[in-house]
Amino acid sequence: MEKMIQLEHVRKVYRLGDEKVVAVDDISLDIAAGEVCCLLGTSGSGKSTLLNLMAGLEKPTKGKIIIKGKRVDKMSESTLALFRQQNIGFVFQSYNLMPMLTALENVALPLTFRGIPVKKRNQMAREMLRDVGLEKYVKHKPTQMSGGQQQRVGIARAFVSRPPVVFADEPTGNLDSKTSQEVMDIILGMAKQHQQTLVIVTHDPSISNYADAVHTILDGNLDLTNRETLTITQEGIDQ
Amino acid sequence: MSNRDLILMGFGNLLRRKTRSVLTVLGVIIGTCSIVVMLSLGFAMDRGFQEQLAYMGDLTIIDVNNYGGYDMGMMGGSSGSGSQTKLDEQAVARFRQIPNVKAVMPQRSAYMKMAAGRYVGHVNIMGVDPEVMEAFGFEVEMGRLLQASDKDTMVFGRSVAYNFYNPRMNNQNRYYGGMNGDTPPPVDVLTAKLTMTSDMQYGETRNRYDDGNDGPAPKIYDIRGVGILAQSNSEKDYNAYMNRDSLEKILEEQQRQNRNDRGRVDNSQYERVQVKVNRIEDVEAVQETIKAMGHQTYSLTDILTSMKETSRMIQMILGGIGAISLLVAAIGITNTMIMSIYERTREIGVMKVIGARLTDIRKLFLIEAGLIGFAGGLLGVGISYLISMGLNRIGASFMGPDSITKMSVIPFQLALMAIGFSTLIGIIAGYSPARRAMKLSALEAIRNE
Ligand SMILES: Nc1ncnc2c1ncn2[C@@H]1O[C@H](COP(=O)(O)OP(=O)(O)OP(=O)(O)O)[C@@H](O)[C@H]1O
Ligand SMILES: [Mg+2]
Repeated sequence: MEKMIQLEHVRKVYRLGDEKVVAVDDISLDIAAGEVCCLLGTSGSGKSTLLNLMAGLEKPTKGKIIIKGKRVDKMSESTLALFRQQNIGFVFQSYNLMPMLTALENVALPLTFRGIPVKKRNQMAREMLRDVGLEKYVKHKPTQMSGGQQQRVGIARAFVSRPPVVFADEPTGNLDSKTSQEVMDIILGMAKQHQQTLVIVTHDPSISNYADAVHTILDGNLDLTNRETLTITQEGIDQ
Repeated sequence: MSNRDLILMGFGNLLRRKTRSVLTVLGVIIGTCSIVVMLSLGFAMDRGFQEQLAYMGDLTIIDVNNYGGYDMGMMGGSSGSGSQTKLDEQAVARFRQIPNVKAVMPQRSAYMKMAAGRYVGHVNIMGVDPEVMEAFGFEVEMGRLLQASDKDTMVFGRSVAYNFYNPRMNNQNRYYGGMNGDTPPPVDVLTAKLTMTSDMQYGETRNRYDDGNDGPAPKIYDIRGVGILAQSNSEKDYNAYMNRDSLEKILEEQQRQNRNDRGRVDNSQYERVQVKVNRIEDVEAVQETIKAMGHQTYSLTDILTSMKETSRMIQMILGGIGAISLLVAAIGITNTMIMSIYERTREIGVMKVIGARLTDIRKLFLIEAGLIGFAGGLLGVGISYLISMGLNRIGASFMGPDSITKMSVIPFQLALMAIGFSTLIGIIAGYSPARRAMKLSALEAIRNE
């Protein structure tokens, strides 16, 4: 399978005064195109840091990060901005919708950044909202919606421009288990429908059931003891 | 991101914080108003000067005077006037060659006594070239202007006829008779049979100061009036005009007759040559050229220039005072934008993560700051017009209702420039906040939950 994301000996050290915090120690990892990948780990294990490194929001202390064959860690800020605009969607734990915009405008925002005319982008956004079951909430502001609804808007926003890669950091972190399930179904359905690569960060092992590949992270390293079972699971799915 | 979307988004952001936006805009309004109103006072002053001068005469006429001839005798050439170029036919020809010169009018003058029936009057007679009269703004109210073929004809200034008086009457009504045109002049110069002579005693009642005749009496000429000039509030109102050739002939005749001619004038030189220039803007250049030829010149533009310099200085001081308040407004804009960044840190971070270009972020903030400046400028100019109207109303109440001079004038260009300037100030004030927003770390922004 074609590799969408490659991590090679990625390391991230934070310096707090004289103290060093090793958030990511040495992680090498390949994620295939169209794969749903789950980064699982306890709080403070470094999974958010890893995701942010992949999304180019931070520079690694060491190692290479390659997406679609391009060195993300070497890109300048403005190149990265353009790269993200064209290749990456993002789902946040706390939704992060624009408070002054309606659901429709929020979903259309990435298309606005791409300079797509208002008619076309509203039509695309409307379709996305329909797909996440919010056709009745088109004109609602974020404050007029529940957490689950807001997150569905967030998902619609991440997928509306059909980016090859979507990152989701604890997308169900603020939701109850039933809503979490609904939201996960939606995310997965979207990613699978258009063969998009999806990387989900979570501390909830039940989420990992949705994934093609699960990487457990322990204190900044891949936990290899879990890896074999996962490979088996994956083979099971493939067959 | 399209500019339209950026502007809409910036506008939406300003509307979100209405009170703060309104207060910031208010600062710009005050700044713009103070600059515009201050400058409008200066512009009014400028315009006042110009109108005042235009009232005094034509601003596009340069007078070239021949003082040299007299100076030499009276001051012994001390002021270096000996080097002055002769103001003769050649000089006139040179003037005609100067670019932007519309017409040149050499003049000769004579102070004569004229008589019409019982009335006599002292009249200053100017010899001019009929062909260029129109170019020099001569207009008749009645009759016609001079023609090249005219010989013993005259065109009279509007007030000349009032110079006539009846020597057999007492001093009443002399000289100051209704010059306003309320009462008709004692003589109708167009129909009366006129005579002219250089003998100042002509027609007067003999009195004891009369020292009798010396030599033959000066010749008396018959004159026909053909036109009366329209009122111009300039020297034209007080002169009579005659074909220059005719006047020169008369003067020569008199000189031949008059043997003890101490004050003999050099006939080859003119006392004055007037030069008409195409446009006011050309006056200075032409005047400089003539000066460089060694002549003495004078024009109303001389006064205008120095008046304008004065008003420019006053304008600069007034504008400077206004500029300070606009500077304060600019600081207000910067402050507002920085506050806005603190509030919207998270939003900016999210925008970056979900695909906003760095330039879009910067543009967004510049547009918001520019919109504040633009709105303030637009409203400020509007209010300035109201203030200007108010000032002019107040001004009219103590300068009289029909006074043409206004206290405050806002030219359309000033209004446009003020709006443009305040927008520019807004953008400049927003520059550093916009950079700050652009450089904001997206990660830090989304992390602070
Ligand atoms: N900016 C930073 N400066 C210093 N240390 C940091 C910074 N960001 C993260 N860390 C540290 O790196 C480690 C990993 O953090 P990270 O946010 O990746 O954990 P996580 O796995 O996402 O945890 P959680 O599930 O609670 O979100 C933590 O020990 C954290 O304190
Ligand atoms: Mg985390």
